[in-house]
Amino acid sequence: MKLLVVEDERGLRENITSYFNEDGTVCESCGSLAKAIDKLHNYDYDCVLLDIGLPDGEGFGVLEYLRNNQKNEAVLIISAKNSLDDKLKGLNIGADDYLTKPFHLAELKARVLAIYRRKAFNSNSKLIFNEITIHLPGRHVEVNQHPIVLTRKEYDMLLYFIANKEKVIAKNAIAEHLWGDEMDMHDNFDFIYTHIKNLRKKLLDFTDNDYLKSIYGIGYKFTER
Amino acid sequence: MKLSAHYNRANIIITVLVLAAGGLIYFFIISQLGRNQLDRDLSEELEEVIDYVNINGKLPHQVDFDEDITEFVKVNTQRIETRFFDTVYTEKKEKQPKTGRAISGLIKVNGDRYKVTITESSESTEYLVQVITIITLVLMLILLVVVFITNRFILNGLWKPFYDTLNKLKAFNLSDQEHFELTKDKVDEFDQLNTAVHAMSLRVKSDYHHLKQFTENASHEMMTPLALITSKLDTLIQDETLKYDQLQQINDIYNATGKLSRLNQSLLLLVKIENNLINGTELVELQALIDQKARQFHELSLNKRLSIRVNPRKKEVLASKYLMDILFNNLFSNAIRHNNQDGLIVITLTDESLVFSNSASAGPLNTDVLFERFSKGQQSDGMGLGLTIVKNICSLYNWQIDYQYHDKAHAFIIKFDTAT
Repeated sequence: MKLLVVEDERGLRENITSYFNEDGTVCESCGSLAKAIDKLHNYDYDCVLLDIGLPDGEGFGVLEYLRNNQKNEAVLIISAKNSLDDKLKGLNIGADDYLTKPFHLAELKARVLAIYRRKAFNSNSKLIFNEITIHLPGRHVEVNQHPIVLTRKEYDMLLYFIANKEKVIAKNAIAEHLWGDEMDMHDNFDFIYTHIKNLRKKLLDFTDNDYLKSIYGIGYKFTER
Repeated sequence: MKLSAHYNRANIIITVLVLAAGGLIYFFIISQLGRNQLDRDLSEELEEVIDYVNINGKLPHQVDFDEDITEFVKVNTQRIETRFFDTVYTEKKEKQPKTGRAISGLIKVNGDRYKVTITESSESTEYLVQVITIITLVLMLILLVVVFITNRFILNGLWKPFYDTLNKLKAFNLSDQEHFELTKDKVDEFDQLNTAVHAMSLRVKSDYHHLKQFTENASHEMMTPLALITSKLDTLIQDETLKYDQLQQINDIYNATGKLSRLNQSLLLLVKIENNLINGTELVELQALIDQKARQFHELSLNKRLSIRVNPRKKEVLASKYLMDILFNNLFSNAIRHNNQDGLIVITLTDESLVFSNSASAGPLNTDVLFERFSKGQQSDGMGLGLTIVKNICSLYNWQIDYQYHDKAHAFIIKFDTAT
């Protein structure tokens, strides 16, 4: 997957790039509207991560450029503005998703992979991770050809973990992914543990590989090692 | 009272006074002139009588001086001053006494002295007074009618641009996109008013726009560093050499960052609600929404093994779906957070009100500061903005929110506006 990060905050740009680069994603970045349009003019990407507040103009300009030039890049807006108007405007002129700052890198990656899959496979696809097969349209999961029944939260969590495999994910990030940040539950993430425990048990019913590792004190990691 | 009515009242009072005074002065002058005329007539007649006596040497007959009544009385006095006086007399043919003007003097006929009195009717003068009175009254009447008509048809027309401007001002809404329309008017004052109002509306709109931009920029400026911190932490925890203690510290930073970001979001939301920046109202079915929220929060309530009991009823309100989501998120979060182990949450929805009650052990909350910003209970680890947001959402839609405590349960009662 080829990714373009358009973000003017250097630190954030570098972190996003390094987070995505590790699993073979080609990730390029730039910090201004003009450079972004220049890059999009010369190369094709699968997905563009687009900040709205750029120093030389609003990121909406990139969306307009893509639309006017019939380019097919998927666009995920990362905006500091949690404004409904901006969100609707972005989605109306061709963005595929809208993520409000601050966000966890894990959340960003899960969203990017989701819109990438939607664009690339026409949402008619299977996601295969070793012996785990996820039928995305029907939202059902097989482990070694044995169907397993997951609750909605467990299914979301499994997708989230696979999107961020080999990464440590903080409990906060998991909680926000599953419940959204409106559900202001104040640093008490015990309830995540129950979901993780159930998911791990359901997977272990049909495989010997325990992918879900607890990183004591901070969160979890979905890993083959 | 309308300005035109004030103006008319003053106008009418002054005009009536002037008219009455004018009428009085007119009356006195006319009656004075009339009397002088009468007196001149009477003197002429007296001279005629004297001439007659001098030529004929005898007193004239009554008939010779018709209309007037001449009387001769023989007197012995040597002198009588010639004088004029008002009198009442009765003509022979008529019974009615009449007012008149008379002259009396002394004449000598063949050595005899006679006092002569000539009386003339002053009816014409009285008639004049009546005419003047009637004219004055008629003038007043005409004035009233004219004022009424002016009021009705001309003044109202003149004031129309003013009322147009007034109505536009009443309908003026800051968050509307369209500008205050500037209409040209024939009347200079209204023209000035329109221009001033127009200028004011532009200024207010631009201030408002700046405020809106400021809040959004503030959000941007704070959110980007927060995003940076979060992403740095996300990257940092990938380091496998970190020890448990260090991860714990990072976890605390995560929590603080999360709290800061929620605090920022909440403050921005409050600004938006207070400035009425939330657009898009629709009919929201509360029962479905409550059921959905109860399902969402069910998991979170499991920790305390709470039971949620909903007494639902179909109820639609005209509100923003987004704000209703936030309202119930806050109410549910509060009800779960400030609950006992094995506690209870009861939600009762009726046509008029929504009651959100939950069991508690802490005793009643301080109602004075309950809905204030950053006020929170002693055991609360929240931000103290949840109930402020709830309260502001309620007042945005003219709903009334009250708090009660009885039977060891907190209850928040939202009374819907009867109009919706």
